[in-house]
Amino acid sequence: MYDAPTAAEQALQQHDIKISSRNVQVYYGDTHAIKDVDVDIEDKTVTAFIGPSGCGKSTFLRCLNRMNDTIDVARVEGEILLDGENIYDKKVDPVQLRARVGMVFQKPNPFPKSIYDNVAYGPRIHGMAKNRADLDEIVERALRRAALWDEVKDRMSAPGTGLSGGQQQRLCIARAVATEPEVLLMDEPASALDPIATSQIEELIDELRRNYAVVIVTHSMQQAARVSQKTAFFHLGNLVEYDDTSKIFTNPEDPRTESYITGRIG
Amino acid sequence: MTDATAPAPAAPAAGGKRRSLLEVDERTRRRNAAEARFRLYGIVAISVGLLFLLLLLGSILFNGLSAFQQTFVQVPVYLDPERLDPEGNRDPEEMRGVTTFGYKPLLNEAVYEKVQSLGIETPLPEPAMAPLLSDGAATTVRSFVLENPDRLGETVEFDLLASSRVDGYFKGRVTRDSIARDRFIDAAHLDLADAMNEAGTMGKQFNLSFITGTDASDNRPEQAGMGVSMIGSFFMMLVVLILALPIGVAASIYLEEFAPQNRITDFIEVNISNLAAVPSIVFGILGLAVFIQFMHLPQSAPLVGGLVLTLMTLPTIIISTRASLKAVPPSIRDAALGVGASKMQSVFHHVLPLAMPGILTGTIIGLAQALGETAPLLLIGMVGFIASNYPDGVAAGFLDPNSAMPAQIYEWAKRADPAFYERAWGGIIVLLAFLMTMNIIAIILRRRFERRW
Repeated sequence: MYDAPTAAEQALQQHDIKISSRNVQVYYGDTHAIKDVDVDIEDKTVTAFIGPSGCGKSTFLRCLNRMNDTIDVARVEGEILLDGENIYDKKVDPVQLRARVGMVFQKPNPFPKSIYDNVAYGPRIHGMAKNRADLDEIVERALRRAALWDEVKDRMSAPGTGLSGGQQQRLCIARAVATEPEVLLMDEPASALDPIATSQIEELIDELRRNYAVVIVTHSMQQAARVSQKTAFFHLGNLVEYDDTSKIFTNPEDPRTESYITGRIG
Repeated sequence: MTDATAPAPAAPAAGGKRRSLLEVDERTRRRNAAEARFRLYGIVAISVGLLFLLLLLGSILFNGLSAFQQTFVQVPVYLDPERLDPEGNRDPEEMRGVTTFGYKPLLNEAVYEKVQSLGIETPLPEPAMAPLLSDGAATTVRSFVLENPDRLGETVEFDLLASSRVDGYFKGRVTRDSIARDRFIDAAHLDLADAMNEAGTMGKQFNLSFITGTDASDNRPEQAGMGVSMIGSFFMMLVVLILALPIGVAASIYLEEFAPQNRITDFIEVNISNLAAVPSIVFGILGLAVFIQFMHLPQSAPLVGGLVLTLMTLPTIIISTRASLKAVPPSIRDAALGVGASKMQSVFHHVLPLAMPGILTGTIIGLAQALGETAPLLLIGMVGFIASNYPDGVAAGFLDPNSAMPAQIYEWAKRADPAFYERAWGGIIVLLAFLMTMNIIAIILRRRFERRW
């Protein structure tokens, strides 16, 4: 798994910075949930956030597309730049931002509508299709990208909630990629799934890396090691260490990181 | 004795805590007994409730069903042109000059002749036939003549309403004892009625006009019907539906999804809950003060009644709508926001459709509650006495004085003649039928639209 990268892979690893955060602080009421997080997330890379429960990794993920705005007591300070623009700028409309930074949640949450309508919903509200044929194409492309097309192409009008757990999660991924986002945030996307569905999702995440910057929060260190190129370790609201995944898992610099990956804390 | 028993309790203790599962220990026995007792209390409570429900339904049906039947007299009436159209022009305007008083002798003759032709012997002279017939019978014949002036001179078969005393006699309400001091009718009439009933020319029939007809004066309970008050209730419910549903749903969506969590929101929420518990008569006096005395809307109008009932229904609708919005899982909202939907899009595309069955059920329950509400209507004068005319047109339906079903029932229950008592019960059956229909619709809607997520 940690073989020396080939030249082609090395070329693939030279990426632009997609998202960078500077001095990000998050408060939930009086609780200081995220302290001073600086991180640069690269484009076309899978970045994994790991850490024990309650360390703030999900909170930080939800800052990246301003989903924390929906929580009244949450307050974010500092800067998060998407392509150099601060997403917490007063002029930024979070709705527009979320179209560019898609999100997949922990529990599969398809809309109680047909499979087709689930995927077509984003493109519809963003006016991405001029006509039905266009929309059909977008839906098919999204479902193919989410590796779900072959399983559902004959029952597009069946309810999305009738699929199996793994299929539902892939449907949610298809729904997220249908709006052509630039970044895909995944909050423990496989934690509610069985091992087979999990491995399908992981393969899919590796595929998605070609087109998107993927940020994934996971509880499973094996998963982080399998799917990500970069890993950030959070502990008690601090970003302890952020480096290449291979480095984090073989030669961590911080003793806390080492304790966590060897199972002594967390 | 003490020696023999002393070691016995020690033995199980010494044998550790292992006791046989086949023996029930004291503690478990007590717990099981308590459980059995509680179940018994539950069954008793439910049985008492069911008993009262049965008593209620039984007495309503027992007292009210007879209102749907009415005694009619079948007689051929000779429409004498000489008396009904003295000018001879067959002009309905001129024929209006002959009032129902002009028709009455005609009817007495008709009944008397019928009696003679059937060979029934009676000591009563011809004018004494009048107490057999309702005052409304002459009206029936008169309106037939005015509508068909060309049928003058013919003999037409009529089904005429019998008077309430005769009707009561067939329903067991009036007896020979009870009429001893009755100035309207005496025993000879009842003998005659019995004979006519045997001959098949007088008898009980289903009375559609109880459901569709208008109210009638104190002297002719046999003619009174629910129709006009039903129309009044219908227009009130229309006002309530048009106002309370959009206002209530909009208010609850705002409070539930958009409003910031602060003191003002809390204050509003507490007050909405309080409003739901305010006695309805308070809304009535509020309506009287605001809508009638201050805004000068017409008294007794379904519009005002509807406005008052809207005020009363709003808290119910808001509370049930908020409950069903709350029941939509937050993951659905997250999902919509996650693909870049705005707050409003997430609410209208996803949350509202899922909450719809609950909202509709709450609305229908609120409407049903409003339909049965009487107290506020008394204060705004929605106990109009509409004896002859239905509202013509929609505007009149909203603005003309009218009554409502529960107010009509109250009105009948108040009147002296026991014949109205039966109609009040009958009115309750009609009202209950409406309420049951609405509740069934609510259940069907809930089943139909219920979705799993």
